[in-house]
Amino acid sequence: MSGATSTRELSDEQLDRAFGALSDRTRRAILSRLAEGDAGVLDVAAPFPMSQPAITKHLRVLEDAGLISRHRLARRRMCRLEPERLRQLSDWVGSYREFWEESFERLDELLEEMQGTGEGT
Amino acid sequence: MTTTDRETQITTPPGEPTITVRRFFRAPPELVYRACTDGELLRRWWGPRRLEVSECDIDLREGGTWRIVHRAPDGTEFVFRGEFLELDPPHRRVGTFVWEGAPEHEAVETMVLEPFEGGTMVVTTTRHSSVEARDMHVANGMEQGIVESHERLDELILALQSAPER
Repeated sequence: MSGATSTRELSDEQLDRAFGALSDRTRRAILSRLAEGDAGVLDVAAPFPMSQPAITKHLRVLEDAGLISRHRLARRRMCRLEPERLRQLSDWVGSYREFWEESFERLDELLEEMQGTGEGT
Repeated sequence: MTTTDRETQITTPPGEPTITVRRFFRAPPELVYRACTDGELLRRWWGPRRLEVSECDIDLREGGTWRIVHRAPDGTEFVFRGEFLELDPPHRRVGTFVWEGAPEHEAVETMVLEPFEGGTMVVTTTRHSSVEARDMHVANGMEQGIVESHERLDELILALQSAPER
């Protein structure tokens, strides 16, 4: 566990969208369901006490966030988990390195500023 | 100045509950020490940009305590605290470090500043109570914001890991 993770893969916009998508209980439950395997839209919707359009809206949010993809299998509309995006998020969240690298860049700027104004040298 | 001059080196020796972060700064040790111990200065650089340091109280004396609160854009707060065990400006600072999200894990952080090629090499070694505690600390990225999502993400990652690869 020596730190090196690919944390610059996602833009802030992508991160916001993905975390926004994860902030909803229903959508997390859908992802957990899809972690077991691809499922038809109707099967995904079955456990939830909400209308089909409401579920479709959740699926669209997940799709826009890159967390799932949709395709057709014969006449069925299928959903598939896109595990790569979750892994990217996990890397981002778990990045000890990023915490320090970004902090140190800010410290560089502060030190330059302090020296630029003749302080402390 | 090339970018490699300021590369952050992070080492986690296998089997040892320590993590070492090494970084060069183009400023004298006195200045770096001050930036790391003065609350008004520390709050301007500590942590990722997207997290605001909303509180930063430092009682800089041996036996004194410090407390830093990080605030994420969604309002979630992360609180860190510790106690200074040894202060030897501008060479060395030793203190405890606790994230209140896991208060049972107290780490001891030793920061050493050495003059190096016209600047300062800062080596911070954090010793955790166990290798597991260290790994958790690293895996959590300290806190790295969005912990609310993070906990849920953990559950999802677990589910993913048990799912067959595609």
